[in-house]
Amino acid sequence: MSDIAKPPVLSLHQVVSGYNELTVLKGVSFDVAAGELVTVVGPNGHGKSTLLKTISGLVPLNGGSISIDGRPTLTKPHAVAALGVAHVPQGDMLFPEMSVLENLLMGAYLAPGKTEIDRRLEEVYALLPKLADRRNQVASSLSGGERRMVGIGRGLMMAGRILLIDEPSLGLAPLIIEQIYGVISELSRSGRTILLVEENPARVADLADRLHLLDDGDIVWSGPPADLLARDELLATYLGG
Amino acid sequence: MLDILMSVLVAGLTTGALYALATVGLSLVWGSMGMLNMAHAAMLTLGGYAAFTATTTLGLPAFAGFAAAILFGAMAGGLLYVLIVRNLLKNDKATFESNVMIATVGIGIALENTILLTYGGQPLKQPLSVDGVLKLGPLNLPYQNIVIILVVVVMMAVIALLLGKTRMGRAIRATAQNRDAAQLMGVPVNRVYFQVLVLSGAVAGICGVMVSSMTQLSPPLGNDPMLKAFIMCVVAGLGNLPGAVAAAFGLALLEAFIQYAAGARWGFPSLLFVVIAVLIWRPSGLFGRTQIHRM
Repeated sequence: MSDIAKPPVLSLHQVVSGYNELTVLKGVSFDVAAGELVTVVGPNGHGKSTLLKTISGLVPLNGGSISIDGRPTLTKPHAVAALGVAHVPQGDMLFPEMSVLENLLMGAYLAPGKTEIDRRLEEVYALLPKLADRRNQVASSLSGGERRMVGIGRGLMMAGRILLIDEPSLGLAPLIIEQIYGVISELSRSGRTILLVEENPARVADLADRLHLLDDGDIVWSGPPADLLARDELLATYLGG
Repeated sequence: MLDILMSVLVAGLTTGALYALATVGLSLVWGSMGMLNMAHAAMLTLGGYAAFTATTTLGLPAFAGFAAAILFGAMAGGLLYVLIVRNLLKNDKATFESNVMIATVGIGIALENTILLTYGGQPLKQPLSVDGVLKLGPLNLPYQNIVIILVVVVMMAVIALLLGKTRMGRAIRATAQNRDAAQLMGVPVNRVYFQVLVLSGAVAGICGVMVSSMTQLSPPLGNDPMLKAFIMCVVAGLGNLPGAVAAAFGLALLEAFIQYAAGARWGFPSLLFVVIAVLIWRPSGLFGRTQIHRM
């Protein structure tokens, strides 16, 4: 049963997945409605990234179901992307020998034509003006924060139904993290549907509509961010205080 | 003296052009798929014989012979993907590199022997060759050398444009640089692999025509260029396309000058010496990047 009133863009039902013999996700279920920003928090190594990889098809689904706008997702990542899932993976996963512009253009690989690509490019440059300045720079020569911006820009170029963002703050300086979350906040305000994975719930307290606490491959708590932050015993047990 | 040096230079550039063409096909497949195609030599030979059959046996014009070489090379690449590579990719990714190398050794031997059974072992003259010499003062430039250099320059430009400016080329480069990320962008990587092998086969076909126009058609025609191309790839850094082209011309010129200065028998040993020196000095090649694997 859906845990929200609006029809979900993304729906996960009893999702089981993992790597070969190792089961990581053990029956995860939740929905994300249009325009929502839902965050999955949890300790390291408990399945947050695997969850996003399972949704985008990089990790095979071994049980349960995932659907986008009511349609079940397919097993191949390129087919999932065609359904409208834009995944901004952990560690950027840019194309290191391509320029910033070429990385962004790869995001629009499935776009219908040049006019649409140009429109998306303008939108991304308006939101992330630094990328316009760096458009001809090779991705491998960018700083960590800039690479993260390119990753988000490339995800936006996909113009998907839902944006999956995996730990955007990982390994960045506090000032850069603030900038990145500023961009995510702006995206959320503009009505984008976002599923965000983050280790630190305090960082998304003002942003997220709902939080899901993932522990050992299962959702152990769901609710508004403020409720989780008020539950010291949950924070201490699952997130180390 | 100057005219001799110029002749050596022209011979070196021509050989370099041939090596570059052979290397590009090999490097393209390695760079984008991590696959060392040991059947590349046989695909090259197939191109040479396809042009021979089209022009000599069927009596078609020269351009049709050239097209036949491209077509048969591309078909061989496509079939290699559909029948072998696609199935190996379904298995464990960790063993793909070694499995595909062994499988393509077998395919190469089978193809070479099929050519031997069909055409016999007697060397044949490649009809797609140009006789005559262009005299520039004291310098004699064979038309065939000029044609080879021109064809290779055009081919390099076409491949560079294809990889750099087209959607398909961007998808090939993206898949080579990060397969998972390319898939997340919607790139069907299996189709990209098919395209890469077709393209590599087409380039091998053209290379086969060019090599046989300088020598003669024989079933093991592709083996020498393939061996040299492998040396160029290792020196440049496996999978580095511009580096492979630079290494091809550089090493061919070195080989030509050593053959002139010390005798023909020292050409190949000098290339091997360079490979050993590069592997000791820079194990990932002159233009390659060091890869660090976390244990």
